[in-house]
Amino acid sequence: MHRLYSSVNSVLNPASPYAAHIGHLFWITFWISMAILLAVSAFVIFNLIRFRDRGQEGLPPQTHGNTLVEVTWTAIPLAILVVLFVLTMQTMAAVSPPRHPAGDPVNVDVIAHQWWWEFRYPGSHVVTANELHIPAGTSIELKLTSKDVIHDFWVPELGRKMDAIPGHPNTMVIEADKPGVYLGTCAEYCGAGHAWMRIRVVAQTEADYHSWLTAQAQPHPAPRTAAEANGKALFVGLTCSSCHNISGSGAPAGQVVGPDLTHLADRQSLASGALPNTPKDLRAWIADPTSIKPGAHMPNLHLTSSQLDALVAYLEEQP
Amino acid sequence: MTTANSAAGAARGPNVNRHKVGMLFFISSEIFFFLTLLSSYAYLSGAFGNLPRESLAVPRTFVFSLFLFSSSLTVWLAERAFHRGRHGTFRLWMLATIALGLVFLTGQGIEYHELITSGITLNYDVFSSAFFTLTGFHGLHVITGLIMLSSLTGLSFAGKLGPKNESALATIAYYWHFVDAVWVAVFSVAYLIFV
Amino acid sequence: MTQESISAIEGSTAPHEHPFPPLTRGWGWLSWLSTTDHKKIGVMYMVTSLFFFGVGGIEALLMRIQLAAPNARVLTPQEYDNIFTMHGTTMIFLVVMPIFIGLANYLVPLMVGARDVAFPRLNALGFWVFLLGGIVIYLAGFTGSLANAGWFSYAPLSEFSYSSRPGIDYWIVGLIETGVGTIAAAVNLLATIVRYRAPGMTWRRMPLFVWMMMITSLIILYALTPLNAGLIMLLGDRVLHMHFFRANVSGGSAILWQHIFWFFGHPEVYIMALPAFGIMSEVVPVFSRKPIFGYTFVAGSGIAIGLLSFMVWVHHMFAIGLTTAVNGAFSAASMLIAVPTGVKIFNWSTTMFRGRLRLDAPLLFAAAMIIQFVIGGITGVMFAAVPIDWQLTDSYFVVAHMHYVLFGGSMFGLWAGIYYWFPKITGRMMSERLGRWHFWLAVIGFNMTFFVQHILGLLGMSRRVYTYPNLPDYGTLNLISTIGAFILGIAVLMFLWNLVWSFRHGEKAGDNPWDAWTLEWATTSPPPEHNFEKLPPVRSARPLFDLNHPDLAEVTPSPTTEGTA
Repeated sequence: MHRLYSSVNSVLNPASPYAAHIGHLFWITFWISMAILLAVSAFVIFNLIRFRDRGQEGLPPQTHGNTLVEVTWTAIPLAILVVLFVLTMQTMAAVSPPRHPAGDPVNVDVIAHQWWWEFRYPGSHVVTANELHIPAGTSIELKLTSKDVIHDFWVPELGRKMDAIPGHPNTMVIEADKPGVYLGTCAEYCGAGHAWMRIRVVAQTEADYHSWLTAQAQPHPAPRTAAEANGKALFVGLTCSSCHNISGSGAPAGQVVGPDLTHLADRQSLASGALPNTPKDLRAWIADPTSIKPGAHMPNLHLTSSQLDALVAYLEEQP
Repeated sequence: MTTANSAAGAARGPNVNRHKVGMLFFISSEIFFFLTLLSSYAYLSGAFGNLPRESLAVPRTFVFSLFLFSSSLTVWLAERAFHRGRHGTFRLWMLATIALGLVFLTGQGIEYHELITSGITLNYDVFSSAFFTLTGFHGLHVITGLIMLSSLTGLSFAGKLGPKNESALATIAYYWHFVDAVWVAVFSVAYLIFV
Repeated sequence: MTQESISAIEGSTAPHEHPFPPLTRGWGWLSWLSTTDHKKIGVMYMVTSLFFFGVGGIEALLMRIQLAAPNARVLTPQEYDNIFTMHGTTMIFLVVMPIFIGLANYLVPLMVGARDVAFPRLNALGFWVFLLGGIVIYLAGFTGSLANAGWFSYAPLSEFSYSSRPGIDYWIVGLIETGVGTIAAAVNLLATIVRYRAPGMTWRRMPLFVWMMMITSLIILYALTPLNAGLIMLLGDRVLHMHFFRANVSGGSAILWQHIFWFFGHPEVYIMALPAFGIMSEVVPVFSRKPIFGYTFVAGSGIAIGLLSFMVWVHHMFAIGLTTAVNGAFSAASMLIAVPTGVKIFNWSTTMFRGRLRLDAPLLFAAAMIIQFVIGGITGVMFAAVPIDWQLTDSYFVVAHMHYVLFGGSMFGLWAGIYYWFPKITGRMMSERLGRWHFWLAVIGFNMTFFVQHILGLLGMSRRVYTYPNLPDYGTLNLISTIGAFILGIAVLMFLWNLVWSFRHGEKAGDNPWDAWTLEWATTSPPPEHNFEKLPPVRSARPLFDLNHPDLAEVTPSPTTEGTA
C-alpha cells in the first residue's frame, strides 16, 4: 500500500502544488467516507449476528419507523456534504488558472492527435512531440486542443486532467515542484492507439530548461557521415516528409500529420511511450509501425535494410 | 377473503381509462424527444450565421401554422359531435381536421422544396441538419396523427365507430393536440427566436 | 354492486375483450411465441437477459485475460475495443435494464392484485422489439466490426471519418429498437400501477418494489427519448453526412453529444439501481420478520432520487472545460443525491435491527449489497468533488466505482430478488446449499476483481486501454483483478447451475414459502393464468400479514376511510 505514496504516476504522490491540493481534498473525503463505511458495515454485521433467528417464538416488535431518526440521518449527511462542497469549491479555485496571472506564465500549446502529442512553444517557435520539457517551480499554462477526436492530458503527479477537444480549446495549469521525469497518459478513449498515447514531462532547472529550449530551436544537425546524408535524402525523397517535419532537412514544411522529428535523439522514448529511444527500437518502428502500435496511421514503407540504417543514422544524429 | 364490497374506502387510482393514461404517459415521453431536438437546435444556433434569416419564409410558414392550429379546434368540435351522437357532423369535422393537417404539410413541403432547390440540402451544414431534423420529425408525427385520424374517420364511415370507442377518439385527439403544441415550440424556436 | 366491486370478484380489471386464445394457453413453444401474458413475457425478458449476461461475462473475461499482464498480445487493440464497447452495451442495455423490466413485468400485476398489465399486446410487442434490437447490435459482427467507440460512443470518434465501419450504425439502430421496447414497457407499468391496483390499495399501501418500478418507469420515459434523439442525430451524421457532432469540420459540437448522451446516461444508472432498491425493500423486511423501517421515507427518497437524477448529468463532463459555475452547480446536485440514497441504506439496515433474521440466500445477498453499494456510493461522492474527479475520472478508479454500484449493488440486489421470487415463478425453492457457494464465491470474486481497481486508478492507470506499460504494481494488481474475475465467473456458473437444478429438483414451494406479506404470495406458485382466484382485503402494505396476524394488523389510513377496518 505504501507504494501508492511513492510510486511514479500516483495521484497520491503529488509533485506539484496543484496535485497536492487535490490529494488533500481526497484524503479528507476518504477518511470521512471510511468512518461512514465502517459504521454502516459494523451495524449490518452486528445485526446479522445479534438478531439472527435462534428459533424463538413469536414475532419481533413490528416497528414501523421513527421520524426523528429519519430527520437526523438526513440532516447529518447533508451537513457533511455542505462542508465537502465548500472544500470542493476552494480546491477548484486553487488548481485552476488564475484570472489575473502575475507576470508571464510559461505557456505551451498542446495539440492532441491520434495517437501522439504535439507541443509548441509560442515564444520560441520550438515544436516537439510526446515529451514536454518545462522549468520546475513555475506554473505552466497548457492550451489544449485536438486535431481529430477527443483526447485527454493527464499527468497525475503534476495536477488535474483535462480534455483536448476539437473546436473547444481548453486551458489548464500544471507545475512541478522539482526537476524530474513525470509520466502521464491520454485519458480519453480515442481509438486503437489510446493505450500508447503516453506523456512524458521532463521538468528541469531554469538554466537547463533554457539550454534545452535554445538547442531545440536549432535545426536538426547536418549529416556528417555518408549514411546520415543518405538518410536525409531518403527522408526528403520518400514520403516521410509529407507527414513529418525536421527543421533543416530541406523538405518544405507540410501539414502536421506525424510528430516533429527534429532532435529526435534528445527524447527518452519513441512512438508516444511505446518504445525506448534506441537505434534498434527506432529501426524496428520504422520497419513495421503497426506491429508495435496496431492501428497506427504510419504506413509500412517496406524499406530495405540499408535504407533503414541510413534513416536511423540521420534521425538519431546528435549535434 | 375479500368479497365484493371490501374495505371501507376502496380508494384506488383515479377511474381513468387505461388508453388515455397510456397515451398521456407516452406523450409526456415524446415531449422530451422534442425538447432534445429543440435544445440541440438552440445550442448549435451560434454556428448558423445568417442562413435562417436568409432562407426561411417566416410569414408564409406562420400562415400555414394557422391551419395546423385551427385543426386542433376542428378535432375538438369533432369530439363534441361524437359525444352528442351526431356522427355525420363528427365525420365532417374529422375530414376538416385532416384537410387542415394536409395543408400544413403542404406548406412544409413548399418550404423544404425552396430550401433544397437553393442548395440547402439535408446535409449542407449545421443549420440544415438541425432544421430538417427538427421540422422533419415534427412532420413525421403529423403524418402519424393524420393516419390515425383517417383510420377513425374511415371506421366511422364504415359504421364501425360507436360510443364504446370514445377512448380511442380521445387518445388520438390528445395526440393531435400534442403535435400542435410541439409546432408552437418548433415554430417559435426555428422561425422566431433563432432567426 | 359498484363497478369496482365487480372487478374485485373477477380478480382484476385488466379488460381482455377475449379470453386467452387457444394458441397461447399451455406451455408449448408456440404459446411462448404468441403469448400476451405478463408472466410469460416477464420470464422471456429474464431468460434473454441471462443469456446476454453470459455473453457480456465472456467479454469481460476476455478483457481480463488480455489485461492480466503488461504488454500482452492476446487481443489486438481493435479486438479489445470492440469487446469493451460490447461489454458495456450488453450489460447495460441487454442485461440489467431488461432483467429488471422482466421481473417487474412478472411481479407488478401480481403485487397490485391485477390480472395482467394494462396493455398485454403492447407488452409482447415491446419484448420482441427489444430482442430484435439486441440481435441487430450483434449482427454487426457479420460485417467484420462490432461497435467500437465505447458504450457512450463519444463524437467525433464515433463519426464516420474516424469509425468508418458499420458496427456503430448497427449499434445505433439496435439501441433505438431496444429503447422503443423499454419505453413501451414503462408506459405499460405506469398505466397498470395507476389504474389496476386492487380495491383498498392506496399509494401508501403499495409495495415498495412497485413504488420503485413506478419511479423507474417515469425515468425511462424521460431519459430514453433524449437518447433516441441523440442516436438519430448521430446516425444522421454517419450515414447522411449531417453536421451535428462534427466538430472541427463544420460547426458541429462534440460537447453537444455528451450533453445529450449523459442527460440520458445519468438517469439510466438510476433505472438500473432503483429496481434493486425496490427488491431490497421487499427482501430485507420479510427476512427480518418486521416491516420496512420508514416506509414513507423509503418511498419519498425514491421520488427524490428520480427527480435529482435528471439534474446531475454534467458530472460526467467535469473534465471537459466547462465553467466554474456549471461545475459547481452540478457538484452540489451530485452530492445532494447521496442523501436520499443514504436514507435508504440506513432504513434497510435499521429494518434488520431487532428483527429475527433468517440468514437465507436472499438476506445474505441483500446484506452484501448494502456494504458494497456504500463503497460504490462513497467513491461516487468523491467524484462529485470536482477536483477529485479531475484526477480520477477516466481512470480505473471510476471503473471500480461503477462496478461497485452496478454489480456489487444492483446485481447482488437482483440475486436477492431471484432467490426470493424463484419459488413463486417456478413453484420450487432454489438450493440453499448451492446458493451459499454462489454467495461466497461471488463476494470473494467480485471484491477481488474490483477493489484493486481503485488502487490502479490512483496509480494513474487510464481506462479503456488494451494494455499498459510495466509500471510498478500495474502487473500485480491487474493479475489479482483477473483472478478475481474468474472466481466471479465460477460464482455466476454456480448461480446458473442453481437455476437449472432447482427448476428440476428444487423442493416444492407452496403459495408462500417465506411467510411473506404482499399480494403475489396470495396465490399459487406459479400463479394461474388469471393470477388470482380471490384477493385478500388490502388495508395496509402487508395484506397477508394482516390476515395471518389479525391482532397485530394495522390499517394504513386511506383518504376515504371513515374508520378502521
